[in-house]
Amino acid sequence: MEDLSYLANAPAPRRKKKNVTFALTKWFVFALFVFYAATLLFPFLWMLLNSFKSGNDFNGSGADFAANVFGWPREFYGKNFIEIMTFEIDGETVWSMFINSIIVTVLGTIINVFLSACAAYALAKYRFPGSKIIYGLAIFSMVVPIVGTLPSQVVMMETLGIDDSLLGILFLYSGCFGFNFVMLYSAFRSISWSYAEAASMDGAGRFKIFFKVMLPMAKGPILACSILQAITLWNDYSTPFLFWPSHQTLAVGLYNIQEAQSGNPPAIFATMIVAVVPVLILYACFQKKIIENTNAGGLKG
Amino acid sequence: MEEAEIIRRPRRRLSGKAKNYIFVAILLAYPVLQFVLTWSFVNINSLLHAFQRGNNRTGTYEWCGLDQFVTIFRNLFQSTVTVPGIPWLNTYQVILLNSLLIGFVTLFISLPLAVLFAYFLSKKMPLANVFRVIFFLPNIIPIVALTFAYKAPWQYLGLGDLFAKWPSSEMMVILYCVWAGIGYNVILLSGAIGRIPKELFESAKIDHAGPWKELFKIVIPCIWPTIVTLVVLGMTNVLTLYLQPYLLTGDQGYAGTLALDIFNAAGPDAGPAQYCAAAAEGLLASAIWAPLILLTRKVMSKKYEDVDY
Repeated sequence: MEDLSYLANAPAPRRKKKNVTFALTKWFVFALFVFYAATLLFPFLWMLLNSFKSGNDFNGSGADFAANVFGWPREFYGKNFIEIMTFEIDGETVWSMFINSIIVTVLGTIINVFLSACAAYALAKYRFPGSKIIYGLAIFSMVVPIVGTLPSQVVMMETLGIDDSLLGILFLYSGCFGFNFVMLYSAFRSISWSYAEAASMDGAGRFKIFFKVMLPMAKGPILACSILQAITLWNDYSTPFLFWPSHQTLAVGLYNIQEAQSGNPPAIFATMIVAVVPVLILYACFQKKIIENTNAGGLKG
Repeated sequence: MEEAEIIRRPRRRLSGKAKNYIFVAILLAYPVLQFVLTWSFVNINSLLHAFQRGNNRTGTYEWCGLDQFVTIFRNLFQSTVTVPGIPWLNTYQVILLNSLLIGFVTLFISLPLAVLFAYFLSKKMPLANVFRVIFFLPNIIPIVALTFAYKAPWQYLGLGDLFAKWPSSEMMVILYCVWAGIGYNVILLSGAIGRIPKELFESAKIDHAGPWKELFKIVIPCIWPTIVTLVVLGMTNVLTLYLQPYLLTGDQGYAGTLALDIFNAAGPDAGPAQYCAAAAEGLLASAIWAPLILLTRKVMSKKYEDVDY
């Protein structure tokens, strides 16, 4: 904190009245924030609560057993979570969707962040003919939105023979000139080259410098990018929906289960909870990093 | 800025440089190849499709000049299939209107609100950090779960019909977009406010500037680059937003957007005919809207050029 004592004799009597309206507005906004935060939390708490009701408890059955939508469970019922794990939709259970999601998320994240780091490092630390062009093209493709290309992506995947496959999904996720590239590019930019020179004196080659010196030094930004990437991929709906129709990740299956289990809402709620909990855990552990990185990304976007 | 110096020892001069090139080539080979392949294939293919007609039965394409674009304008201005209950609006116009409405609300309601919220959040608001953590939640929750969470209470309150009819369906989509989107803007903006040097606020105090004056004379100019970014993102929404109406209404309530039209054209029921129509639609929309985005960005960036926090 800087020393502001020299400001102490600055008179401020005239501001009092204005401050009252400002303070009132501030408390009004505070109330609004509380309300907004409640609307964000309420649906999920409501789903969590209702995922512990039996279908009959929630829907009501019989004359004196009314529907129980907003109340506490009449009887604590934990079986929804077990039942949905074996409930089949189009040949997939929620358990197998969960596994699909894990595979797609883990492999997709590793591939994307690693390749982004490679490209970012090469362009940030080496100057060669064409480096400016590659960087410029990457930024240009991020800034200028060209829409209507989704059908062409379908045609491309069919031409390459990797439509409807895990390989195809990973191929799409391996496109690395995006947000992570920009973040890691600026991360490598800010690392001094003298570390590489020192390692080079000790006889380290270029690969050794990259893997043993530079990557570890950028592990903060790399971790942040990985977490955000993992959350994005876990939640991704469009890519697996369009390009892996024979399988369902949890993000896709969530939509289908609404139809399939429409008679038994607690089962839907339980599935939602299963899909949300992994990202909530990641968020709880890395909340500060995630928000910081989003802020940094917004600054550069 | 530091770069790898090409080592200039006489004997190894060439080999050091060559090794650098080989190293860079290995690191960049896959990323550049993947990028060039997908980006050029997808864009060139779309460009060609926009001037072709596809046949779903035979799976073939034939050149048709500007026919696809003529069809778009004919549908837009001459189609007599109207939205139920709205005689002045046909089913093509409603898509355009929905897309623009979402952009309008994002820019002129969501964004100003977010600036105001972010400003108050920075004013020693109690629980500010708790709010930040909660406001960010919509960004990490799967969109299918979030749309469901938004929709379910309405349904159980007996208001599920709101999602089935235009214009209430569109209102629900817009309300969702504000509800789920404003937190992210508040986080970005309050991050930007946090980076403003404290001395600026102190000098404002000495000048007896009230909080409102401070907001307009100091805070907004200082966070202008972030605001420009959010304006660009908001305008991009007009072209790219589709999952929200798709998941909220099941594409049944006439709440569709341009991007949803294109998404449907890539879906399992679509074929070459839809591919070509979507390519033309996307090309036309980008050709009109993308320059507008770039122009807005340029004009807005000029307003307060010297600040960058």
